Amino acid sequence: MLCHMKKYLLIVLTGFIWACGSNGTGTEAPTPQEDGKDRKAILSHLADHIIIPAYANFKVKLDAMQAKSDQFVNQPTMNNLTAFRSAWTEAYIEWQKVELFDFGPAEKQTIRNFYNIYPASENGILANIADPSANLEVPASYAQQGFPALDFLINGVAKTDEEIVAYYSSSAEGAKRLAYIKRLTGRMASLLDKVITEWNTSYRETYISKTGLDISSSTSLMINGFVLHYERFIRSGKFGIPSGAMLNGVIAPEKVEAFYKKDISLILVKTAHQAYVDFFNGKAVKSTLEGPSIKSYLDALKAKDSATGKSLSEIINAQLEATKVKLDVLRPNLYEEVKSNNQAMVTVYNEMQKTVRLLKVDMTSAMSITITYTDNDGD
Amino acid sequence: MMGINQYLKKTTSVAPLAVFRICFGLMLLGSMIRFWSKGWIETLYIKPTYFFTFYGFEWVKPWGEYTYILFFICALSAFMVAIGLFYRIATISLFFSFSYIELIDKSTYLNHYYFISLLCLILVFLPAQVYFSVDTYRKKHIRAQFIPQWNIDAIKLMMAILYFYAGLAKVNSDWLWHAQPLSIWLPARNDMPIIGFLFNFTWIPYLFSWFGCLYDLSIPFLLWNKKTRVWAYAAVIVFHVLTALLFPIGMFPHIMMVAALIFFSAEFHQKIIDRLKAFLQLPKENQAIQSTYTSSPFLPWGFALFFGFQILFPFRYLAYPGELFWTEEGYRFSWRVMLMEKAGYAQFTVKGAPGQHAVVNNNLHLSTLQEKMMSTQPDMILQYAHYLAGFYAKQGFRSPQVYVDSYVALNGRLGKPLINPKTDLAQEHDSFSHKTWILPFNDTIKGF
Repeated sequence: MLCHMKKYLLIVLTGFIWACGSNGTGTEAPTPQEDGKDRKAILSHLADHIIIPAYANFKVKLDAMQAKSDQFVNQPTMNNLTAFRSAWTEAYIEWQKVELFDFGPAEKQTIRNFYNIYPASENGILANIADPSANLEVPASYAQQGFPALDFLINGVAKTDEEIVAYYSSSAEGAKRLAYIKRLTGRMASLLDKVITEWNTSYRETYISKTGLDISSSTSLMINGFVLHYERFIRSGKFGIPSGAMLNGVIAPEKVEAFYKKDISLILVKTAHQAYVDFFNGKAVKSTLEGPSIKSYLDALKAKDSATGKSLSEIINAQLEATKVKLDVLRPNLYEEVKSNNQAMVTVYNEMQKTVRLLKVDMTSAMSITITYTDNDGD
Repeated sequence: MMGINQYLKKTTSVAPLAVFRICFGLMLLGSMIRFWSKGWIETLYIKPTYFFTFYGFEWVKPWGEYTYILFFICALSAFMVAIGLFYRIATISLFFSFSYIELIDKSTYLNHYYFISLLCLILVFLPAQVYFSVDTYRKKHIRAQFIPQWNIDAIKLMMAILYFYAGLAKVNSDWLWHAQPLSIWLPARNDMPIIGFLFNFTWIPYLFSWFGCLYDLSIPFLLWNKKTRVWAYAAVIVFHVLTALLFPIGMFPHIMMVAALIFFSAEFHQKIIDRLKAFLQLPKENQAIQSTYTSSPFLPWGFALFFGFQILFPFRYLAYPGELFWTEEGYRFSWRVMLMEKAGYAQFTVKGAPGQHAVVNNNLHLSTLQEKMMSTQPDMILQYAHYLAGFYAKQGFRSPQVYVDSYVALNGRLGKPLINPKTDLAQEHDSFSHKTWILPFNDTIKGF
């Protein structure tokens, strides 16, 4: 019996080898590198040419902001306020280009939660100013720190710049208020350092070597984070919630991003959206050339609409472009748009909703991304 | 008629059944331990706040923290079946505890769990304890060396149905002409050592699809036939080892590899038992037992009824209009395994009195697995909609209406809405009749 089994296995193996060999009279099997299905190549490109350089760019802006913030803390003058505000604006815009990397080190540090949960909690911030030992590492403190809290502190504590400067020059409370600004910028810098250090040391290797598609693999974590970012933080956070499209249809203009500064809310959205498009297409941060990416992977998988033959990556890019067109007609101040032109906001939300479906269903399905640990027999 | 009577009188050695009992019990015990150690009792049966019950089994509820006791009962029963202690009680308890667990939540439905439930039920009525069991040491008079041939054949037939129907379900245009869903699933494994590179070839999913289909359709016959049996079993090993390596299907491949041993001869199984006896240093029997076990004359009719049902039930989908893969009306309990890459998205809107309007965040109500399963299966969408109606009524919504914006992609097709977004699901009720609020698939998948 054993002898038979051996024979059988031999036949199976021979058949297998023959089948592999028969592919070509001499032609070699395509390496995954050549045909775009090599996930290691994709992950390496995304890490080396997008994620790590984008964090480096952001660090420059954040360091600049911290420097200007320190100047303002040392000398709360009109000039220093203006300089701080402009550095804050630049850093906030640059942040939109890294917020989407919500996997690996960023997810571990939950950096997004500490950086950009809005609307800011005014009462929480005022309470923290009074209590310098308030815990800033718990979920309850998310809305009391990061860019939105700074937005309130440099744009929202009073109506005019003179009054804001006066707010910080007050002999009674000024020092405590400035100390809180310093605490917040220091905390942002240290969180970012942790994330960047991890990317520059061990995580890059982990990221590019876990090439599977199981739940703990890099691609799976990245895609899940990537999809969630669009759905929850671009679509819902920036449009769905303020426009009321997601709740009762009641508008909530005070829930727009950068509510106190107001006139940068559109540029933040557009930057986030462009960063998203570029990441999808694998556009390198420095050279702006496209490399191995989610797009090229989908193309290699030949993911397409079987009815029209159009590739899935084209369909996704077209939908992202359609959303961009709707963004372009908005005015810079989304607070005003919600109040006076909300239908345009809802229109953007509806376009984004279509993108969410493509990303969440068509893209993840085509890539065979796993979302749970449990057994399954393919439904 | 004479032929049937003669067949029913035919006897054979009990050894294959005894080996099957031991293996089956141990595999199930292993399954339970694996499930427990992975923390799945907690994540699947304790943590969720809502459970998708089966139609007609709404009374099945998890036991909260005591669900562990349920699993303990099941594991203990499996062990008792394996060693053949209080066999009848143990098989009954195994059948009920295992089936109860599987009935708690539809989102955990797997064909092989259904298969195990059915085997447990079959074992309740088979005399697998009359040989090489603790029971025979307790009560020597129950010992028997021979049992009716049909007892063994019943298990073989159950396995044959599983394989053959699984093969039949693969005879469809998606599987054979488009190699779907394997064309999606296999490239995902191209980083596997040694064979991974193969999955970059576009023809490999076709090879696997055709091989898989032919394997399922022919393997019961090849195993049954003495001449082809050894080769067939080698194919069983190759096939299931491959599926175990490639797909997250848990214990199924292992159970099938062990269960397929039932097709081997009595001498083969006797040898296993003799070796086991030697290994366990059990005392030798003083004299060979020669008695034959006789079962109730009504039992074969019960089995005939059971198998008649098994043969017809998977075809119930023919009673429904529309594409089976799309509507899933008649999809479960029909040995349709690994046939679909189906992903979906379902966003619910609940409306009450004017001004009462909410978009539901599914994460607040469902686990990841539940949401994934619900978003592609119409009956689960309906159940969830009813749950939401109840939930929002408690929140003060006046007679809540529930609408769903759904989007489902199937086997590489671009996604499209599955449910009519204008249907107030709170007004619809589940039944065995066709669900008219499922939107048409507008495509055809030819075949079974």
